[in-house]
Amino acid sequence: MPQLAIRDLRKSFKDAVVLDGVTLDVEPGEIVCVFGPSGAGKTVLLRLVAGVETCDSGVVALAGRDVTEAPPETRGVGMAFQNFALFPHMSAFDNIASPLTARRAAPATIKTKVEKIAALLKIGHVLEHAPRELSNGQKQRTALARALVADPKVLLLDDPLRNVDAKLRYEMRLELPSLLKASGATALYVTQDYKEAMALGDRIAVLIDGRFVQVATPGAIYREPASIGVARLFGDPTVNLIPVEPVIRPEGLTVHIAGCIVPLSRRYEHAAGRACMLGVRPEAILVDESPMADGFPVELEAVTPLNEKTLLLLRANDGRELLASEAGEDAAPRRHGVAHARFDPDALLLFDAASGERIPPKA
Amino acid sequence: MSQVALSIQGVDKIYRRRGRPPVHAVRTLDMQVGSGEIVALLGSSGCGKTSTLRMIAGFEDVTSGSITLAGRRIDRLEPASRGVTMAFEGYSLYPPLTVRDNIAFALKSARLPAREVDKTVEDMARLVDIEPILDRYPSSISGGQQQRASLARALARRADLYLLDEPMGQLEPQLRAILRGRLKNLLVERGMTSIFVTHDQTEANALADRIAVMEGGILQQFADPKTLRERPANLFVATFVGEPPMNVFAATVAVGDRVSFAVDDGPVFSFSSNELPLDVRDAIGGRKRATIGVRPHAVRLGAGPNEARVVSNQWLGDQSHLAMDVAGKLMVAVSHARIAARSGDLVAFRVGAADLHIFDSDTGAAVSHGLAPACG
Amino acid sequence: MEHTSGLERALRGVALALIVVFFLFPILWIFLMSFQTNEEILRIPPSPFFTPTLGNYAALISGKLTTVSGTLDIAFMRNLWNSVLLSTASVAIALVLGVPAAYAFARFKFRLGEDIAFTLLSFRFAPPLLVLLPLSLYFQQLGLTDTYAGLIWVYQLIALPLILWIVRGYFEDISPDIEHAYRVAGHSWWSTFTRIAVPLAGPGIAAAGLLAFIFCWNNFVFALILASADKQPVTVGALAFVTASGIQYGQIAAAIVLSVTPTLALALYAQRYLVEGLSLGAVKG
Repeated sequence: MPQLAIRDLRKSFKDAVVLDGVTLDVEPGEIVCVFGPSGAGKTVLLRLVAGVETCDSGVVALAGRDVTEAPPETRGVGMAFQNFALFPHMSAFDNIASPLTARRAAPATIKTKVEKIAALLKIGHVLEHAPRELSNGQKQRTALARALVADPKVLLLDDPLRNVDAKLRYEMRLELPSLLKASGATALYVTQDYKEAMALGDRIAVLIDGRFVQVATPGAIYREPASIGVARLFGDPTVNLIPVEPVIRPEGLTVHIAGCIVPLSRRYEHAAGRACMLGVRPEAILVDESPMADGFPVELEAVTPLNEKTLLLLRANDGRELLASEAGEDAAPRRHGVAHARFDPDALLLFDAASGERIPPKA
Repeated sequence: MSQVALSIQGVDKIYRRRGRPPVHAVRTLDMQVGSGEIVALLGSSGCGKTSTLRMIAGFEDVTSGSITLAGRRIDRLEPASRGVTMAFEGYSLYPPLTVRDNIAFALKSARLPAREVDKTVEDMARLVDIEPILDRYPSSISGGQQQRASLARALARRADLYLLDEPMGQLEPQLRAILRGRLKNLLVERGMTSIFVTHDQTEANALADRIAVMEGGILQQFADPKTLRERPANLFVATFVGEPPMNVFAATVAVGDRVSFAVDDGPVFSFSSNELPLDVRDAIGGRKRATIGVRPHAVRLGAGPNEARVVSNQWLGDQSHLAMDVAGKLMVAVSHARIAARSGDLVAFRVGAADLHIFDSDTGAAVSHGLAPACG
Repeated sequence: MEHTSGLERALRGVALALIVVFFLFPILWIFLMSFQTNEEILRIPPSPFFTPTLGNYAALISGKLTTVSGTLDIAFMRNLWNSVLLSTASVAIALVLGVPAAYAFARFKFRLGEDIAFTLLSFRFAPPLLVLLPLSLYFQQLGLTDTYAGLIWVYQLIALPLILWIVRGYFEDISPDIEHAYRVAGHSWWSTFTRIAVPLAGPGIAAAGLLAFIFCWNNFVFALILASADKQPVTVGALAFVTASGIQYGQIAAAIVLSVTPTLALALYAQRYLVEGLSLGAVKG
């Protein structure tokens, strides 16, 4: 039985549909990252599961118990908010202890549990401080400790790393998985950062316009995105999209790009004649100064380093801008001017232009 | 560096407010920016970068020191007569004007011919992707669009120096990657001398010819991105620059047949005399303690004399980030290939002498980088 | 530009001094008047030098007003007590009713919610005289004329809208997530209201209460029409000093000093907490 089951959940505010029939099962101990662009309804979904917002229709069940109508205090979930939502008039200790006081735990038990979780999160030394005396990182850890302290079966994390600086966010990204696994909780983790989703999620549920468009493992989503929308959300910089119409020619399946003929795997033959979008991740574009087989000429417009990668801004003959990336920042310094690009045939993605859905290659 | 455009000499900024201790926001800042050069002021909030930019723009007085632009001393001039233009981070568009009129405002005041104004506005709008909203009012466009309009307005003017305050702070990452390339092209093509403030080192790396890293009001290092990465002047720069930042450990040094660094309660990194050249050994001198560092991308996984337990292994599509427990701290290794280790596994790794950074354990100043000593 | 020259600072000091003199001089003058006899007050030209007398205060406290045409009984101390009773009770009731109502208006969107809130505020727009005539008729029928309960009820017209609108703003400033966090932790909505919302809006509630107290204290016209001498507050009671044989300036001054003292003391006392509470930044977390 799933620890958390969400069935056909719907929610509108006035005329705006925020959640349009969302269904998800999360197994015990699993971490599912709910990922999507801002305004996709991620936070609303979490609030519905927590019970601080009510849904229009649908069912939320925790360990088989229907809690759709239950008030939040009876659901027994732990939650961490994006803005921390610490109680400003209480010390860090009292903040963390609040789920235990609600359960009327004995003072000695409270002290033991709070100190244990605080030590785990490295905030043992600031327990007596008021929230305003804590650094952003400590606030965030206090909020996490509060969510974890009562050993909830289900943990709801609403973009908890959003408001801490890049360095802390990175450190927490490395620490969180072992922390969550150790707690054994089933976690729903909302994030807007695809790297966070890939790093933390056992599975990622991609929420776009109030619907889950794909729920799969990080690897599957990166390699086989269900649609153009999903493909665009994963990858930094984002995937290049080129409208193409595959045609069968004597030498094989090809597409026209900027006046050049570029081959495509025969496994996409069933897409011949359809209006398609070719998705090319920046790391799948190979750039060289001399012409290459199956390549096409481009103008190299800008070379910018990006976090141990080098980004190349290319302009094809038809004026289309393409972004390519190379590993390492020491890639041979390149001069602006004429260059040649080639696509890695194994890493190409093909989408139906009309529906935006991916066209899977034939086996 | 070509001809000097901007020269900042011995500039201090002290904020005095009654009832509070004075805040020394910028300390004896010396900086020369060449004509046509693109410079980034990089640092965390409160490091003095924004104060510096505002002093150049004239929104803040200098407490002492001088600022010279294009051969003219400007630190006592009104902002309007300094020959600088600035793009603001926040919402700074004139609300009663359309986006088009906002961008054209300074051009029209400068009595440029209408045709030229129109062309410049169109060009800038295309550059920052706001053509469809040119005739809308600032209140009806999003924060990101306002920021781009503000950027276009600043770039449209002719000035001796372009100041950009977090020019892309509010934009979506996808758009940012494209705009960076276009902006850099424009600045380079037209030889526009520019200084931009950012806390995002990706942006600094992508755009700037040189980066000024600031912390605590002090200029820590002013160098090109490659030098910052490969030869950080001190521990602060080393742990601030780089995503993820350098792994650093306090260690005890033993120099004998081999040079070894014993991390407190942790592994020993040991190098033969062939590996570490003589001048590095000289630079280490009689030190008993040092802080050693290695970049995550330089940690070689799979084989080697050292071993550590994996805390997490995260694959991000085009990179793997592996965190290992080394002496109670996280040591991060990054690989462009997918790594097949699970948390709890033991992995072997090695740190090459060429990738080793050594810092003085007291001052944090760099002692050596790889095979060469740090120059004084 | 933030640095200022010496001249600027000097000018600023002069300007501040002028403002202080302008606002505080009347209070100082009243204070001095309260220690003078009517003759000293009315002499021309006025002089700040006089032999202080406590006669005015003695007359107020003893309740015997001596004028040239004889001795009058006045109920000033009774009036003062009435003021304290009426204001305190009115504010207490307004807080009990207004704080939960303000919370409801701040947190829950319900049908006609905005209209009800606005209607309550609109009580403050109408001149009191407009409602007084019908009100006095109703009160006569209900038997509320000349009762404390009746006055306290009418004072709600002053205190309730004020508290409702000020406190509502403070509740709205508290991030709902802070309350959500407390609910999710397992606490009921009532304990969330009492343990989180009310303490966090504390400074606002105190400010609104204080303001409402001062407004109630200063009210004149309701009590003048709806109550008789033994229920009237000081504002109305001060009329007694306008006697057939002249105006007793000395006693009026003493009465003013006495009637201002409680509100002033309260404001000074509460100010410390208000400023502390407001600068805590508590609400913004």
